[in-house]
Amino acid sequence: MTRVTLDSLTKHFDDGGGTVVAVDDVSIDIADGEFIVLVGPSGCGKSTTLRMVAGLETITGGEIRLDDTVVNDRQAKDRNIAMVFQSYALYPHMSVRENMSFGLEESTDLGDTEIGERVENTATMMGIEDLLDRKPGELSGGQQQRVALGRAIVRDPAVFLMDEPLSNLDAKLRAQMRTELQRLQEDLGVTTVYVTHDQTEAMTMGDRIAVLNDGRLQQVGTPLECYHEPANLFVAGFIGEPSMNVFEMRVDGEELVGEEFTYPLSSGTREALGDAREVTLGIRPEDVEVLTGTENGRRDGDRSDDQDRNRDGRHDFRTIVDVVEPVGNGNNVYLAFDGAEAGTEALGEAAGDGSAVEDDERVAMDLEDSDTFVATVSGLRRIEAGEEVYARLPEDAIHVFDAETGEALRNRALDEEETVEPAA
Amino acid sequence: MSRRDSADGSRDAEERGNDSEERNEGELRTDGSGEVGTNRLGRFLADLRAHPRRAGLYLVLIGLVGFYLAPLETGLLTAFKTQSAFTETSPFVPPSLDGLTIDPWLTAWNRLAYALANSALFAIPATIASATLGSLAAYGLTHIRWRGQVAVMALFLAGVFIPYQAVLVPLTQLWGFIDMTSLLAPIPIVANYVDLVELMITHTAYGIPICTVLFRSYYRSFSEEMLEAARLDGASVFRVYRRIVLPLSKPMFAVAFIFQFTQVWNDLLFALVLITTPSNGVVTIALNQLSGSFVQQYNLQMAGAFLAALPTLLVYVLFTEQFAEGVAGRTT
Repeated sequence: MTRVTLDSLTKHFDDGGGTVVAVDDVSIDIADGEFIVLVGPSGCGKSTTLRMVAGLETITGGEIRLDDTVVNDRQAKDRNIAMVFQSYALYPHMSVRENMSFGLEESTDLGDTEIGERVENTATMMGIEDLLDRKPGELSGGQQQRVALGRAIVRDPAVFLMDEPLSNLDAKLRAQMRTELQRLQEDLGVTTVYVTHDQTEAMTMGDRIAVLNDGRLQQVGTPLECYHEPANLFVAGFIGEPSMNVFEMRVDGEELVGEEFTYPLSSGTREALGDAREVTLGIRPEDVEVLTGTENGRRDGDRSDDQDRNRDGRHDFRTIVDVVEPVGNGNNVYLAFDGAEAGTEALGEAAGDGSAVEDDERVAMDLEDSDTFVATVSGLRRIEAGEEVYARLPEDAIHVFDAETGEALRNRALDEEETVEPAA
Repeated sequence: MSRRDSADGSRDAEERGNDSEERNEGELRTDGSGEVGTNRLGRFLADLRAHPRRAGLYLVLIGLVGFYLAPLETGLLTAFKTQSAFTETSPFVPPSLDGLTIDPWLTAWNRLAYALANSALFAIPATIASATLGSLAAYGLTHIRWRGQVAVMALFLAGVFIPYQAVLVPLTQLWGFIDMTSLLAPIPIVANYVDLVELMITHTAYGIPICTVLFRSYYRSFSEEMLEAARLDGASVFRVYRRIVLPLSKPMFAVAFIFQFTQVWNDLLFALVLITTPSNGVVTIALNQLSGSFVQQYNLQMAGAFLAALPTLLVYVLFTEQFAEGVAGRTT
């Protein structure tokens, strides 16, 4: 059983005279048996980090330790690490059985019978025992994926490394393999480092996730920590689908003043901001409450009263629904701030009277110019594009980031019971 | 069902599709005459009637085939004619029964047999050696990182472009420096073939650059991840070559064998320069000696030429399937 320590890991590539910093001072302690996911956009250095752990890239600076042994200068073949590649990297001229035996033949002194047994056992565990005599070219993508996993598992290595192993599968199979991989890892208890650019995979699979950007480590934490308490604007934007809504704001007394709206702050929140002047306000789409007139007032025929009540809410803002994306269990509602009063009226006219084409176009322009933001609402709610609604941005759900450094100044409040530690 | 099976299946389906299309066209055209082409030939002819330009194209193609095959046909017929039949008939015309003979073949065989053996003795090892060394060099130049790789590769590339004639003088000087005769003297049998050993080494060295270039382009198409996986599986650099790269190189070996064997077998220039002992004569030299000094026995020369060409044909036939794969650049 193995702990993996990355200590100030750095990698420079030579690029025609200049140097490119691919990985910059990354330090992560990975516990024995932990499933850690390195996640980030392409080119963020996550694969390079993984390849350094594997011994496929040289290390420019820092140390990699397996347990307490520095392995910087140990060759890949001597690290007792198994890796699953995105392309599966099966040996095309060998049968599945030979593919799986190869590592045992090369790295251990086991006899043929024992190797045969171990291959059979692993194949049965992976459900590929019927494929043992086939060549990789005769297998489907999903089957190749299983063989690649089996080839790694059969060696019983100290560490598993996985480089986007699921990205060549179709969506259904990927979701299925995600669960299966997780279960396998739990059963085997082998320390696993998993690289992906897919934040869904990161959120669902990892015990902890390490978010990388531009070669720098942004945050290491449990998926929920990274989701609810992002260390900075990058993590906030990268984790979560649809992404967090962000607004550029200026701190003005007890308020945040933006182009589209002004957001009053409670004294507690104001204190957390310190002397920051330019900030970014963030809120998750599911925290945006969408209030429609129909829901609250129209049935009584008393619409104006209802609107007044909404206006009373300090954090309610008048918006127009731009686009509605139904995703089944929910709707992604794209909202635009209702900046131009005339535009809204024109929209109403256009809806009733086809001749108001010019105005209609103007509205379209308005909507395009103004930034939209997203709210997710229940899939059963009927909301139409063009509808006028109120968006409530509750203060306990907002994140505020320093606009210059991107550091989180204030994260959303969580109730005591809402712990960010996953249930054991 | 294997992938090959399914691929064949789809190809069959495609052919069927084409056939039915052709048949439809055929039916349209032959509607009035009531003659519907049911067999392939019938359909083909119907097709030609409908497309006179295509008929023209086929005529040109047939003409070209004839043009290219005529020398072969002439040579083959000549080899079966007696000397008098050769003088009396046109070269294209088959001999009469009186003029038919296999004597030229027997004579050619008697005079060439030792040279064929000699050629095989040096050409086969030279071919295998240059392909193997080229493959190893290419592996080292593609999948192993070390300093100065580019410069070495440039040298290999330059080696491809050196003409035979340019190295004749240095080559004789080199073998002058190295006293192969006394080096090989202690080894029985081999001591009798000093010239052939020299020729073999020369051809091996001369073949390495082109083989390296061929293998290098092939190895660059290999998945980097596959070789990395092998390294992580615990295989050393040489084990990766032995167990992964070499087995996957079969198609390119077929290409290298065919190309290299033809080059080495057909070479006359190096042989003329390096072979001094008559008993070491190779087939190109012996063939040259078949042309008599007074009377040109064309039938004998033709039979000899075919005998001399037979081994290269054999190599082509042996490696054709692999060769096609190698040219197509498939790795699986």
